[in-house]
Amino acid sequence: MPERVLIVDDHAGFRRVAGRLMREIGRQVVGEAGTGAEALSESRRLKPDLVLLDIQLPDLDGLAVAASLSSEPEPPTVVLVSSRDAVDYGPRLHDCGAIGFIAKADLSAESLIALLEA
Amino acid sequence: MTNLSRRGIQIGVLAVVALVCLAELAMIMVWPDRIIWQLTFPPIRPWTEVLVDIAPGTAFAFAGLIAWSVRPRNRVGLLMMGVGVGLLIGLRPGMRSSSAFSETFSQIAIKWGDVALVLAGSLGVVMLIHLLLAFPGGRLVSPVDRALVRSFYVVVPLAAVLGTAGNYVPPEALGVFGAFSTAFFGYANALPNVIYLVCLVLGSALVIRRWLLGGRAKRRSLSPVFWSLLPIVFAFLPWTFMEVAGLFWQKPQIGPFLTPLWTAANLSPLLLVALPFGFLIGLLRTGLDMSSVGDLVVRLSDGLTPDQLQPALARALQDPSLEVFYWLPTLERFADLEGKRVELPGPDSERAVSVLGDPSTPVAALVYDSSLVHEGQLLDTAAAAARMALENARLQVQLRAQLEEVRQSRVRLVEAADSERQRVERDLHDGAQQQLVTLLLSMQVAKSEALRHRDRRVADLIDGNIAALRQALDELRELARGIHPTILTQAGLIAAIRSLAERCPIPVEVRDELGDVRLAPPLEAALYFVGAEAITNAVKYSNGKRICVSVGRASGLATIEVSDDGVGGADQSRGSGLRGLTDRVAAVGGRLLVDTDQPSGTTIHAEVPCA
Repeated sequence: MPERVLIVDDHAGFRRVAGRLMREIGRQVVGEAGTGAEALSESRRLKPDLVLLDIQLPDLDGLAVAASLSSEPEPPTVVLVSSRDAVDYGPRLHDCGAIGFIAKADLSAESLIALLEA
Repeated sequence: MTNLSRRGIQIGVLAVVALVCLAELAMIMVWPDRIIWQLTFPPIRPWTEVLVDIAPGTAFAFAGLIAWSVRPRNRVGLLMMGVGVGLLIGLRPGMRSSSAFSETFSQIAIKWGDVALVLAGSLGVVMLIHLLLAFPGGRLVSPVDRALVRSFYVVVPLAAVLGTAGNYVPPEALGVFGAFSTAFFGYANALPNVIYLVCLVLGSALVIRRWLLGGRAKRRSLSPVFWSLLPIVFAFLPWTFMEVAGLFWQKPQIGPFLTPLWTAANLSPLLLVALPFGFLIGLLRTGLDMSSVGDLVVRLSDGLTPDQLQPALARALQDPSLEVFYWLPTLERFADLEGKRVELPGPDSERAVSVLGDPSTPVAALVYDSSLVHEGQLLDTAAAAARMALENARLQVQLRAQLEEVRQSRVRLVEAADSERQRVERDLHDGAQQQLVTLLLSMQVAKSEALRHRDRRVADLIDGNIAALRQALDELRELARGIHPTILTQAGLIAAIRSLAERCPIPVEVRDELGDVRLAPPLEAALYFVGAEAITNAVKYSNGKRICVSVGRASGLATIEVSDDGVGGADQSRGSGLRGLTDRVAAVGGRLLVDTDQPSGTTIHAEVPCA
């Protein structure tokens, strides 16, 4: 059974492209969310295996959402994305419970597989 | 008050004193035939009794006359004369019981005359309370005092008159109350005296309270009154006891063992003689020594700084609580020496205010103890002497206030610029950057599609576009970072400096002595931009091999120091970069130092005050 993915980003264009990338690497996109609050409720409802999470969300900070998701009873794997670079966030990226960060500009089938299978 | 009415009052008071003294004198002098104007005189009265009768009132009247001529604008003198007249004609009117008096006038006239005399006496007592509370300014300052004195002016004379009138109303006239009348009038007769005592004790208590709470200037004038009042309060205690006892027993029944007490009580009014002189001395003590103003002039000629001016004036006017506030015409308000806004006390306050200079464009305001209110001449002299110094101080205060305004406006400008930078960075990120990133990803998907359809040529074309787009994105990201680094707000100063160091083409050593401490956003921004500019300059111009950045915090200062091992020669006064940073650091109260005077390289040091 393919891994089930929830894509969280306030930009619909990005969610669409990211969905295609996920399907390309054999994942099943089960849902999308545009805000941090929506991400938390959709994650509880859909129980995805993987959450592709944008850091800059209109309501909550993506890093806080990641920390909140990782404290759930059966936490999903969280991959953070942002149109900013990792250097723009500093050490906060490493202690929020996510398995890694990919700058949106570097997001590709290869970089996703590399991170998920590391 | 016109001179004529002043003279009238003075003559009136003297006439009352003279008449009462003459009457009393007549009663102790024995004419050979004991007849004058065909009237029979009463038995000879002892000197002591006459003295007790006239001494306190006469002392008050004369002390009042002196006080009024020395301090014509102060009501204390008038009140003292009022007390004197009241005591002379009202309190112990020995002539009321004389047979001469009773033989001259009809019984009705005697009754009404008696009531009138008691009324005058009670008014004298209330005026004494009024005097105690209004001293030394002559005006009742607090609303409580005003209400108290007003109610005394109504209640005390009323009670006194009722008590006396009771003597002349037969029990039968009271109908059903007649049965109680004897007992009632027994009390009523003693009532005025009891009320006088209550007034005296209450007034004394209020004076003692004012003395205890008052400042040095107030105590200086109150203390003679205080010390002359104290023995009276104690001496009147036996009298109080006798009067209260008299309510319950007939005086002859009190018993022989109380006779000495009774004598002492009867002589106690003599102590009242000291009180008017206590008032007079107290009043004259408020007339401060003009020589203190002379000292002020000498000190002023030696040159006083604005912060020495207030203590000097306070010393000259002998009021340590004196404050000087300065008028700021541009801001249309008074300010203290620091340029901070102050409100002057209102008319009901215990503090008095003198505004110096033209009312439309004042120079300064003196705020002082209200006991100095009647020292108009002294205040004017001191203020005139200090006028130039006050003008100078006002200009300095105005300058300080304006500088403070400018400083605050500069802080606001920097803060506004910072938040605008953050907004622009966010807009770039949310808008252009987001669109370009999505486009980039779409092109990567398109490239995958092309490869899947084995169309190498299209895939290469797309690849070229992807590379161009990546470069555009990188440039945009650098631009956004330069406008406002997200990491600074996200992770703080050290993380932002480390991020700068990581992206720097020459090695940068970051020494962190700040730890996890977060500073206020304007301080973090100021120090960050110093670091960023210094690193950029070192990379561009120093030809150095290494850069060292230290961030720390000590003795209330947050610091950043950037040094390189390059050629040196940075000049703070040239170029907009360092100049702008110097201004930026100064806006948050800090300073920036550039040191190129060393063997090699440049050190840029910035420090900002932090709580």
